[in-house]
Amino acid sequence: MSINNFSKVVIVAKDEWRYWLRSKLAMTVLAIGLVLTVASVIVTAITMMELSHTRHELQATSDKSFVDQPDRHPHRMVHYGHYAFRTPSPLSTLDPGIDAYTGNSIFLEGHRQNSAMFADSRQGTALTKLGSLTPAFIVQTLAPLLLILIGYSGISRERESQTLSYLLSQGTSGATLIAGKGLALLSVVALILTPLTISALFTLGSGEGLLAVASFVLGYALYLIVWVLLILLASSVFSKNSGSFTALAFVWILLCIVMPRVASTTASTAVSSAGKIETDFAVKAELRKLGDGHNTNDPAFKQFKQSLLNKYNVSSIDELPVNFRGLVASESEAKLTSVLNKFAEQRMQAELKQTQVSRYFGWVSPMVAIRSLSMIVVGTSIETHHRFLRETEQLRFDFVQGLNKVHVEKLSYQDDMNRNADTAATQKARVSAQNWQILQDFTFNVDSSKARAQRSIPAFLQLLLWIAVLLGGIKFVGRRLL
Amino acid sequence: MTTPTAINKTPPIEQKTFDKHVSNTGAALNDTMIEVSSLNFSIKNNAILKNLSFSVAAGEVYALLGGNGAGKSTTLKTLLGFNKPTQGSVKVAGKEVTQALDFVRGKTAYLPESATLYPHLTARENVEYFLSLADIKKSDEQINAAFNRVALQRDAWDRHMQTYSKGMRQKTAIALAILREAPIFLLDEPTSGLDPVAIDEFNQLVRELALTGATILMVTHDVYGACQVANRIGLLKNGELVGEYDAPQSGRIDTEQVHAAFGHHANRGA
Repeated sequence: MSINNFSKVVIVAKDEWRYWLRSKLAMTVLAIGLVLTVASVIVTAITMMELSHTRHELQATSDKSFVDQPDRHPHRMVHYGHYAFRTPSPLSTLDPGIDAYTGNSIFLEGHRQNSAMFADSRQGTALTKLGSLTPAFIVQTLAPLLLILIGYSGISRERESQTLSYLLSQGTSGATLIAGKGLALLSVVALILTPLTISALFTLGSGEGLLAVASFVLGYALYLIVWVLLILLASSVFSKNSGSFTALAFVWILLCIVMPRVASTTASTAVSSAGKIETDFAVKAELRKLGDGHNTNDPAFKQFKQSLLNKYNVSSIDELPVNFRGLVASESEAKLTSVLNKFAEQRMQAELKQTQVSRYFGWVSPMVAIRSLSMIVVGTSIETHHRFLRETEQLRFDFVQGLNKVHVEKLSYQDDMNRNADTAATQKARVSAQNWQILQDFTFNVDSSKARAQRSIPAFLQLLLWIAVLLGGIKFVGRRLL
Repeated sequence: MTTPTAINKTPPIEQKTFDKHVSNTGAALNDTMIEVSSLNFSIKNNAILKNLSFSVAAGEVYALLGGNGAGKSTTLKTLLGFNKPTQGSVKVAGKEVTQALDFVRGKTAYLPESATLYPHLTARENVEYFLSLADIKKSDEQINAAFNRVALQRDAWDRHMQTYSKGMRQKTAIALAILREAPIFLLDEPTSGLDPVAIDEFNQLVRELALTGATILMVTHDVYGACQVANRIGLLKNGELVGEYDAPQSGRIDTEQVHAAFGHHANRGA
């Protein structure tokens, strides 16, 4: 009975492990890789859990602080404002994605759209701004390097020591040898992914979807398979270990360091977006046309005033059954929000287009592909951030307009106009704190795991194409291996 | 320069322990095990082997002698199927190499010029590894017996091979071939870099293998060594077989005659 090819592959893989176990360098590399992965998973998980807990607490504190305000003039509450916090998705413990840069909370107030704030990268010292040692960073950037260090000589070592021709002459095919070395490297991939997979599975208990977890683990497995195949190909092509290592080091620098930056630069060049100062000036110019919502005599509200007088069939605003100041504030807020939303949408569309251009680079860099895939699947991508901005803006608009409605309905125009006359008048221009209950509970949830998985399909296709091309290359080289 | 002579049968050798080496292929002593006919091999219109024909029988030691670039190693690689002949036929154990690659490689034991094996493994682990790839199971006793047969020192059996000399590595490789019951040995410059004692030990081992019925083709540029161990010598020059010499009844080829034909390329070896 002849031995089947798979058994031969397993024998070669076992021998490769024996070589690693007896090689100090390989064992050191493996140990470093495992320690880094496990440590980063633990540290990041603790940090993110604390962050999640803190954000829950801060949201509750902010909510309570708002509703606990005493009787006030409703417009003072518009300016008192409110915080909305984004609780991280369970999987973001493994890949904070753009959350680290975009911020995770936003201050909501009348007449303006604030940027998200409290980004981790802005809160740290100068050194921590360089980036954290997250599990995603380790698997995306360092794991390929570790695989290169232990695998670059897999085939070239056999060729250099003439054991390759010896093996081939005894009936072991080149394909079997490459497959065996590949199996050994895949077992290292499994080792690297084990802490990541266990952590990902734990997020199921925090409400994460199974599809998202499966997509996350599968994505990283495919990414590291791409690197295993690259290593096998280089090791098969080069006759010297030094040649194989040099080529792989160059490929790593190109794919993991250079290409992601080329992608970002190309994206920002290809899709121009207005800078903050430029946008602020444009917004101010547009807003100036709308008039000042605090000033009922602003000419911009002349037509609005007339339409109201017509509607209620009265000749002056004093005769209106509702508070004209509140109506102006509400009208002004609606128009202002429309302008702000237009600019915000333009900015978000530009960011989205830039992201799309950047993601196209996944076809030429598996690093770009896995980075996109990972952020999309864990819910820390630009799309999720934009949804957070839109939802918080809706929350802001609703609560401001809710207060404006109170202003319109619960405070008379006369009391409002006399509010600064004396202390009693000021007291009279206040409304009950019961009205602050208009504040809606805010909980931000990332997209469903199905939606995230569907959005990540292009990145999966990019990785699969890499694998198909590399397998073709290895098959070609394997037949000519000597 | 001598004209090549067509020889189908080798001179008779002393048949002491003709055993399973040959019986493994179903061949009998003196049956042709390697047959190269009108072999041509070119790389990009550059002819490396030109109309090369020779045969080696079971129990015979055939030395293919030539200088650097004569085509010796190319001939071995063609026999192993690493090179595809441009023209001609290469048969091993009766089968065309290009059509029965696995069969041929299963029957041959190839020793590269520098048979390093795996330095991180012991001799025993090396042997066990290669045997497991060939799905051959041998007991420790059988492996020990093979090591004894090639005269590998006992204290080296379980030592990492990075401490081995070339001679010890070659002995290990031959022990492996014996355990694989390979009936055909292809040796590439086997004595290159060996000290005189090791060369004598190696030549003795080769002769013993031939006596057990093994077919041995060695390529070398060592005229003196080849004349000592071979039953026949083929002289290769620029890819052409320019002469063949038989050992007379004495079992020794006239070194001076071959040396003269080999001309200034000759190397008297150790």
